Amino acid sequence: MFFRMIRGTLFRQWKKMLMIAFTIALGASLASAMLSVMLDVGDKVNQELKTYGANITVVPKENSVLTNLYEVEDGGVSGAYLQEDELGKIKTIFWAFNIVDFAPFVNVDATLDDGTEVQCVGSWFDHHMDLPTGETLDAGVVSLRSWWELTEGSWLDEQLSANSADEVMVGKDLAEKLGVKAGDSLHLNGPASDKNMKVAGIYDAGGTEDMQIYMQLDTAQALADLEGRVDKIEVSALTTPENELSERAAKDPSSLTVAQMETWTCTAYASSICYQIQQVITDSVAAPVRQVADSEGAILSKTQLLMILITILSLIGAALGICNLVTASVMERSQEIGLMKAIGAHNLSVALLVLCEIFITAIIGGVAGFFAGFGFAQLIGHTVFGSAIEMRPMVVPIVAVLVVLVTLIGSIPAIRMLLGLRPTEVLHGR
Amino acid sequence: MKKRKMFIRMITASLMRRRSRMVVALLSIAIGATILSGLVSIYYDVPRQMGAEFRNYGANMIFTAGDDAFTLDDVRAGQSKIDSTQIVGVAPYRYENVRINDIPVVAAGTDPEGAKKASPYWRVEGEWFTGDSQLLIGASVAESFRLKAGDTIEVSYSPVSENDETTSDGEDEFVLDTYKPFTVMGVLQTGGSEENYIYMSLDALTELTGEEGTLDVAELSVSADAEQLAGYISEINGSVKNVHASLVKRVTASEATVLTKLQALVLLVTIVVLALTMICVATTMTAVVAERRKEIGLRKAIGASDKSIIQEFMGESMLLGLLGGLLGAVLGFVFAQQVSINVFSSSISFRPLLLPVTVLASIAVTGISSLMPIRSATDVDPALVLKGE
Repeated sequence: MFFRMIRGTLFRQWKKMLMIAFTIALGASLASAMLSVMLDVGDKVNQELKTYGANITVVPKENSVLTNLYEVEDGGVSGAYLQEDELGKIKTIFWAFNIVDFAPFVNVDATLDDGTEVQCVGSWFDHHMDLPTGETLDAGVVSLRSWWELTEGSWLDEQLSANSADEVMVGKDLAEKLGVKAGDSLHLNGPASDKNMKVAGIYDAGGTEDMQIYMQLDTAQALADLEGRVDKIEVSALTTPENELSERAAKDPSSLTVAQMETWTCTAYASSICYQIQQVITDSVAAPVRQVADSEGAILSKTQLLMILITILSLIGAALGICNLVTASVMERSQEIGLMKAIGAHNLSVALLVLCEIFITAIIGGVAGFFAGFGFAQLIGHTVFGSAIEMRPMVVPIVAVLVVLVTLIGSIPAIRMLLGLRPTEVLHGR
Repeated sequence: MKKRKMFIRMITASLMRRRSRMVVALLSIAIGATILSGLVSIYYDVPRQMGAEFRNYGANMIFTAGDDAFTLDDVRAGQSKIDSTQIVGVAPYRYENVRINDIPVVAAGTDPEGAKKASPYWRVEGEWFTGDSQLLIGASVAESFRLKAGDTIEVSYSPVSENDETTSDGEDEFVLDTYKPFTVMGVLQTGGSEENYIYMSLDALTELTGEEGTLDVAELSVSADAEQLAGYISEINGSVKNVHASLVKRVTASEATVLTKLQALVLLVTIVVLALTMICVATTMTAVVAERRKEIGLRKAIGASDKSIIQEFMGESMLLGLLGGLLGAVLGFVFAQQVSINVFSSSISFRPLLLPVTVLASIAVTGISSLMPIRSATDVDPALVLKGE
């Protein structure tokens, strides 16, 4: 009988029930959309902040002191280099997934035929790597220096290896000074060999790079007879904002207790990623670029806090909206309940009946709302960040608990009122 | 006159007598309005507040020498073209090659207060320099000379052209090197090339080199959007002769990308939240009106015209919308203020325009959402409604 009555309400009063379900669905979709976006916003914004370039630089141990300090003038043949064949190892560390981009650099001083000294930099442009883990990665300056603007010509395309080995990219200011355009050729005399190069493109970097020439890593290495060696590696990694623990660890990892050490290595702090890079690259010093690493942390935590507060506001809004409507729709049924009580229904069975009906509606509405909300989240993700918002399993229980709680709270005042009804009064229509 | 009085009395009476139901409706309208005004304030304030955070990345504009010698006065002249409230920090730099223990090091003369503000990401172990005999050394320099905060060093300068310096290795017969003792106040860590320099005040560098010298570069951190920055650049380049201003592309370009995305995010979230709360308000109003079909029927039975019923109900719901809108506008401002204080630790500016907009929007939403159910209610035959069918 109980189930028959519930079924009766659900089917015969489907319009009213649909309205409750609709409101609950709206609230649930709002909650799940906001929660999904909130939980993912950190990663997304972090990804966006990668436009600021590398946040970790790796240099040879001795070189970190030598190069700039002694102003070595003989083309950098001063000893310390990193090994090019170890580069792939960066993607094998514990935090490999957090490393989004990296590129090696080798600096070579060359002269042109007219005696002008130019600084050449060899690097990757859109280097394609097959990692030992079976993944592939495309890394290089094209993505690492996203703020560079191509003023003429095109980027070097490493995939077309036939041409690109003889091609260079020239900085805007240098191109102006030399009077070269895309398509012209330059004769570069390196410390070890010389080569005729074609200018593939001119870039505007808005910095000191505007006076440099960029070319492929092997080409630059050949100029200075530095095969297999690199001066510097720049790494762009997704990191967690630094805190007191990470700062202490960065100074001296051995000062940590075992538990602290575990927390440190298992959190993607810039310092712990640096530490792990140092372990895989021989004789290297990896240091976070403070300008990028610090600011990223600040902006990231602010954005997350902002989203959390907005989410809380919308959750409260959703909860109150659901509460309101559940109360309103239950109160509407006073006449029906009065009739039930008049023919001898107990308070308990009336309450149970009403609750059951509402909960069945709530579950249907909640499930529909959850998927709708996930859709909303995807909409936001694609419009704003151009990528999908990841589905977090923890959103499901949060939304479920929220819907159940809110529905329950919303029905309590209504049910109390219904129980207080006197059948005669209701049926009389007062 | 009498008619209007009656109208107002009916509206207020129905609101007062059905207090609990009306409070519920008012509450949902107020929530909607709160979300509207709160999120819109945040939306407009995000670029300003976040812009300040982005100044963590340091200078976004640099001044270099124009045609002539570049001095502190030129920097001031260029700086005066920029709205002073937008300037976060200005740091002038003059670079000279000096020696510590006969090993060449690049020394930078700057204004410590300006540098601190223009490059907030610099981390100093120890203290910043304040006096003319104090300096700050980069971490790489500190490591290679085994120096730490508190040490005293002597810095020398060879007032000869650089070519002579490298060939004769400092043993120049004609000009004597100048020496000046300094106390190392702190060690600078940046993760960049700044770690290879030593920093002292401009006066100290003048004293050491014995000449006034010109500045090499001045870094400015300006809290303005890309368009304004471009405007400042062209204005300064056009009117201040000795200064060539340019943007640090890496910082400005990236800031624009990230800020646009963030604002778009808040906008979309606002739209989604707003659409959902509007529907919530609409359903609540529908429920409120639907409840009163009997009343409508009764009124029609004693001879009220459809028009007067619609008018009265609309007046009632618009009054609700007005109250809810006012309440929501205030609450929304409080919410936005709380968010701003918690997240950015700065207060939000009150936008007077937002108050009427919120109130009008909530009146419109409640009016429209109650119009439909009232219409359908007035269509009903009073006899049927009163009979309870």
